[in-house]
Amino acid sequence: MEIIKCPSCGENNTSDMEFCQNCQARLQPLTGPLKGEDKAIKPGQIPTNKSTAELEPLLPKWLKDARDSARTGEEEKPAQTSSANQMPAQQAAPKKPSAPAGDFLSGLQAQSGDDEDDEVPDWLASITGDTSKPKSAAEETTDTRWVEMGNRNDYAQEDAAADADTPSWLAGLQPLEPHTEEKDELTDWFRTAAEEQKPSYQDPAPIFESPVEQMPPAKPVDDTPDWLRQMAADAEAKLEPVQADVYQDAPEFSLDAPDWLSNLGGAAMESKPESAQPVKQQESTEFPLETPDWLSSLGSVEIESKPEPAQPVEIPLETPDWLSSLGGAEAAQMSEEESVVFAESSLAGSEAEEIPSFDIPDWMKSSADDAKPLQDTTPRWLREESNLAGEPEVPAWLSGTGSFELSSEKAEETPAQSEDSEGIPAWLKAAEPHHFIEETPAAEVGPLQTPSAEEERSRPFNAEPPAFEADPTATEDLFTEMPSWLSDAMEQPSSSTPTAITNTDALSPSELPSWVQAMRPVDASASQPASLSSDQTLESRGALAGLQGVLPAVPGYMPTSKPKAYSIKLTASDEQLAHAEILEQILAAETAPVPLEVFSNLRASRSLRWLISALLLIGTILTVSLRTQIFASPSGVPNEMRNLLFISQSIPDNAPILVAMDYEPSRAGEMQAAAAPLLDNLMLLRAPRLTFIATNETGAILAERLMAGPLAVHNYTDRVSYLNLGYLPGGQLGIRAFAQSPTLAAPLDISLQPAWETPPLEGVIALNQFAAMILITDNAEAARIWIEQTQELRGTMPFIIISSAQAAPMIQPYYNSAQVTGIIPGLQGGAVFEQYNASRPGTARSYWDAYSLGMLLAVVLVFGGGLWSLISGMRERANAGEGK
Amino acid sequence: MQGKVNKMNIPLDLLSGVLSFLFTILILSYLIGDNPLFRIATYLFVGIASGYVATVIWWQVLVPRLMTPLLPALNSDSLALKIFVLVPWLGMAFILMKISPRLSGIASLTMAFLVGAGAAVIIAGAVTGTLIPQFEATINFFDRDLAAARNIDFLEVAGNGAIILAGAVTSLVYFHFGARPQADGSMRRFGLIEIIAWVGRIFIGITLGAIFAGVYAAALTALIERISSIFDFITLLRTTFGL
Repeated sequence: MEIIKCPSCGENNTSDMEFCQNCQARLQPLTGPLKGEDKAIKPGQIPTNKSTAELEPLLPKWLKDARDSARTGEEEKPAQTSSANQMPAQQAAPKKPSAPAGDFLSGLQAQSGDDEDDEVPDWLASITGDTSKPKSAAEETTDTRWVEMGNRNDYAQEDAAADADTPSWLAGLQPLEPHTEEKDELTDWFRTAAEEQKPSYQDPAPIFESPVEQMPPAKPVDDTPDWLRQMAADAEAKLEPVQADVYQDAPEFSLDAPDWLSNLGGAAMESKPESAQPVKQQESTEFPLETPDWLSSLGSVEIESKPEPAQPVEIPLETPDWLSSLGGAEAAQMSEEESVVFAESSLAGSEAEEIPSFDIPDWMKSSADDAKPLQDTTPRWLREESNLAGEPEVPAWLSGTGSFELSSEKAEETPAQSEDSEGIPAWLKAAEPHHFIEETPAAEVGPLQTPSAEEERSRPFNAEPPAFEADPTATEDLFTEMPSWLSDAMEQPSSSTPTAITNTDALSPSELPSWVQAMRPVDASASQPASLSSDQTLESRGALAGLQGVLPAVPGYMPTSKPKAYSIKLTASDEQLAHAEILEQILAAETAPVPLEVFSNLRASRSLRWLISALLLIGTILTVSLRTQIFASPSGVPNEMRNLLFISQSIPDNAPILVAMDYEPSRAGEMQAAAAPLLDNLMLLRAPRLTFIATNETGAILAERLMAGPLAVHNYTDRVSYLNLGYLPGGQLGIRAFAQSPTLAAPLDISLQPAWETPPLEGVIALNQFAAMILITDNAEAARIWIEQTQELRGTMPFIIISSAQAAPMIQPYYNSAQVTGIIPGLQGGAVFEQYNASRPGTARSYWDAYSLGMLLAVVLVFGGGLWSLISGMRERANAGEGK
Repeated sequence: MQGKVNKMNIPLDLLSGVLSFLFTILILSYLIGDNPLFRIATYLFVGIASGYVATVIWWQVLVPRLMTPLLPALNSDSLALKIFVLVPWLGMAFILMKISPRLSGIASLTMAFLVGAGAAVIIAGAVTGTLIPQFEATINFFDRDLAAARNIDFLEVAGNGAIILAGAVTSLVYFHFGARPQADGSMRRFGLIEIIAWVGRIFIGITLGAIFAGVYAAALTALIERISSIFDFITLLRTTFGL
């Protein structure tokens, strides 16, 4: 079975499936029901001819309008032909071959031919098998004509009469078909003339490209009507005297052009003023690249004759007499001032006036004889061409082909021209120069509107309005013309809501014309699924405004079934559940806080607390208040105090002694009771000069309190017998600094006076110059710091530490290591030392009974408490054993 | 003149005695538990102590060591003196930067100096002042000549040395916590170490007992001193006012 791969997801599906089994996208295109009419054309397949006439109702509006207008033009064509002189020019369009009714673009073809504005493109011509038609001059407005020709009133007043008498062929002397590929009567004739002429000069460098292509095709010479030959003979006869003088010095211009043309050119050259040379030079540089041979030869002549513009050149061309006379007369009457005016005018303006006048009818001759010179009635474009073509001796309408294209579109719309257009030969119509984009009515373009030379000569130069400045809007239309069908489409009243292009307007796939089928893409690959949308939403904005159903939603992407539902409920067996429960218990046990095994605290018995407090207070108060001496003073002298007695006796008199105060005020009672006996002994025996220094903030004031308290009896005076250096900041660093350089570390005393010049410190500049160093501290850490930082600097100086009872055990090792000379451990050390100081000051002894009682009480309480605890424990255990 | 001084001293002593008595009673009120009187006494003590410390720092540290030398140093031609004075100012400014969290990093310079210098001093002092001397002392306990030099009986020295040596060794072994796993999963130290550590626990217990006795003795002394001061105040009152 054939496998079809889904274009959306790539899933393979069987060929009989309409939707993809994976993404539900449509596999079979909806174009299937169209019975294969929409199938792509295979390579090599010949499109079949289809009759699309019945599809006209389906055509867009603009196409309908085009077709309708085309048909209307075709119907009116016969009527215009019969009454060409009375019908407007725009209705006198040449008959176009009617397109086959069944052809889809038949209306377009008719429209293009009728409109005369649109040139049938080659691609369309190749499709329809028809050739492009020449363009006719568009309708010109009087305003724009004034731009080129000046004020309307400046022209001759006999325009009205001239209009009536001017033959239509002369008014319509404008090329109607710019396309050169279409042959006319003069083409072959000109080509033959060019071939016979052996040009000895090169073609000028052309600038314009389009004029050549749109040059009115010349008709073969053989097709020249007799009446034209007669007119040429008459003109040649009139200009013959002039030619004899003018063209005798121009043998190189002996082209094989017709005589009438040669004469015309020669006359124009002879009469061409020097001032007109710039205009000609300007035009000469605007030759197209694809200049025909005959025109190229003329152009070459022009270039070669430029160095001597004023020199008359004899061009033995076969210009018709009538044309030669016109050109010569017109050129002769061309004033120099006028030439300047034209030179200043734009190229378009100058060329637009160049209307050749090959044939002078009787009415023109009469008017010229009666009222004005001949050149006044000559069409301006013809006069200009005569002037410009003077050098190459080419008729003005030939040399002015550069402007044909731009003005030819509006020429046919000129009423005066269109009236007699049917009476003009085709080659002469083609010879009519095109007007530029400035639309000029044919009546104004006609020779009767050309201002006379006298008027122009009498008119001030400055008074003549420049052609370009008269109507600036005329230049805006240059190169901006658009086809009429597009103009009609744009002129349609625009509705606020864009008209929807529904599917009903589209062509049915089964009725496509053959040429559309041919344009369809070749089925080189797999056919893509067509739009499956049935959404007919009208787009109201954006680039797709007005379109309907262009952005359909693809139904194939919509899910057609609900996704399969999966249960999130866990299905587990009993064994698995049991294991999971065990795991949960383990995890819970890991995260559950384990209660700390706390020993039962001794319950703070308030009665016990009160009991102990009462005992201590009562014992202390009684002993202190009664000043009892029940307990004997300590008899033994510990080893750490034994050296103290020796030191106190060995210190020289009036020796400087450093006393470091480093204890808290709360310990002041104990520290004073411990330190006072030693200091009192020293002061009593040796009267040392005491220098106090404190390593805590309260040390200095404690030193003063000590001196004013137990040692006040010695009447030591500050800065005389003792000195208080105050607080030594820095902790260990300060102690180290003081040990290294006492004078720098503590230069001032507590009263901010220089300390080291006072009597207490006389002769002392270093630490080791003190006789002894006494540290009074309640902190073993402070003692350690003093020991460590001063060990190397104090030398053999005795170092005595008076410590609190709580710090003495920690300082004891330093005494054992001989780093400390002696220690007085608290009240007990003071009491011992008082015994060797004649019981002075007696503080320690006064506390000793209370102290001893308190210590005994503590022993009793601790021992009694332990015993009580033991007994109670045994009792509890016994009770526990009985209970069990 | 002397009479005036005595009259002046008596009120001051009386005033100080009253305050001392009062605050002592307030602190002792803690025996009945935490109470406002105790809190008042503690708050006043903290406040007064802080004010006193600040005053001491200002008058005994900042003014004499930082401000007073500033102008003479700036006016002098000695560059070293200027540096010696200005460096503390710079360090103080850096320390003050700690007020601003954004600039507190600057204070780390000064703190680095303090920490570095302090650590160096402490380590050097500990090594040279405690560790090495203590090792030597423990070794030299049985040095007869040293005992004679210190005027200590050798037996006493040797006995003390033996106890200190035993106590030091056993205490150090006690703080050896290296152990091996046993068959029952428990961790247990080596048997000999376990025995020595048990002996070390005795010495540590004795040391702690000694420390406790010292603390108790110090506290008891303070209590005695306070009670004695109360009685001294009463005695002063009696003598002052003839009661």
